[in-house]
Amino acid sequence: MGTIFDPFNTSLIFWEIVTFGILVFLLYRYVYPVIRDQIRTRQSQIEQAIDEAEKTRAEAKELLAEYRRQIEEARGEGRRILDEARKQGDAQRERTKREAREEGDRIIQRAREEIERERDNTLREIRREVGDMVIQASEQVLGRELDRDEHERLISEALDNLEAEVTGASTDGRAGS
Amino acid sequence: MRGTLMLAQVSQEELTHKILHTWEEAKHSWLIPIHIGPIDLSINKIIWFLFLGAAITFLILFIGARMLKDRPGAYQVIVEETYGFGRNYLGGQIGEEGMKWFPYTLSIFVFLLTLNIMGLIPNTYPVTSNLSFTATLAFITFALTHYMGIKKNGAGAYFKSWVPGGLPVKVFFAPFMFLIHTLSEIARPITLAIRLYANMLAGHLIIFVFLSFILYAGGFFSTAGALVTVVSVPAAIVFYAFEIFVAILQAYIFAILTQVYIELAIYAEDH
Repeated sequence: MGTIFDPFNTSLIFWEIVTFGILVFLLYRYVYPVIRDQIRTRQSQIEQAIDEAEKTRAEAKELLAEYRRQIEEARGEGRRILDEARKQGDAQRERTKREAREEGDRIIQRAREEIERERDNTLREIRREVGDMVIQASEQVLGRELDRDEHERLISEALDNLEAEVTGASTDGRAGS
Repeated sequence: MRGTLMLAQVSQEELTHKILHTWEEAKHSWLIPIHIGPIDLSINKIIWFLFLGAAITFLILFIGARMLKDRPGAYQVIVEETYGFGRNYLGGQIGEEGMKWFPYTLSIFVFLLTLNIMGLIPNTYPVTSNLSFTATLAFITFALTHYMGIKKNGAGAYFKSWVPGGLPVKVFFAPFMFLIHTLSEIARPITLAIRLYANMLAGHLIIFVFLSFILYAGGFFSTAGALVTVVSVPAAIVFYAFEIFVAILQAYIFAILTQVYIELAIYAEDH
């Protein structure tokens, strides 16, 4: 029984106190501070990494918002430019149309004037031609030369009368009808 | 017939000796005799395994602490987790002040665990199954407990806290309660010592007892012995495995109780 019930083993008690004392001292001196510092260091490193990650994320978010804003701006700018161009195009078309119309009117006006002038010329030519032909015919009929100036005056008079008659007839006819 | 014949060959004393040989021989094995007056300080097998256990405890943690890197390997994780276990599960049972004591109780835990596990290796000596060892450690706990109690609360307040307030017939009950509490304080280190000692001793004995059945039945080479072996060896293996669990559990119980006792003393006035 003395072997397994051994409460006063002096050598064990002595050496246990010595050994345990040294063990605890060594552990307190060389082991625990190192492990504690290591764990603390890692903890701070992890915290730092988390902080950094958060900062980076915030930055990325900001950047994204900035890009979105820029894109939105660019889109707005594009729309504005397009509107401007459309407006300008419309105005241009209107102006061109107006100018074309004016030009056309002008051309028509000019043509009308030209026609008027041509008609006058033609009438004048016909008148002269008719006079000449009448004189010539009268000369041939009478067999003598007529006083040209006198004749011309007479013819002119006759023509004027004719003209007056024609116009009068036409007015009469118009009135009659 | 042969079985009973062989049975007679192993006497009760021899069998007892076979079962207890670890404890019987340790005191006289590997001996370096040292005597100071009447006090025996000889270094024997028990002391050698005590030294070895302390050395292994220190080296496991020391090498772990030397190898620390920012990106830990498996070994470092084990050492750090051991430290974390001490900080999270041993320290601060009652309050922040107790946190300061977890390295001490963690040392106890790792030391006892090492000794318990080492004792399971055949031909070693299970130091924790010696009452002198557990009693000494329990006494250190006892001493630290009351040292901290007196240091933190002052001797008067500390001992006053042993008597609960609001007692009827104070003159009679106060000394009675003080006595009761004193008894419980004395019981603590005794239970602490005997719990660890008895658990470790019983665990080892039960394995030896199961194996000794083989000898009792006439040895492995007899018919009865062979039959008993079929039962004894598996049973011994089961108890052996159970002993590993007990080794961890008892180391933990000793450490956590030490921590709780110290913290109770520190916060004695709050209760």
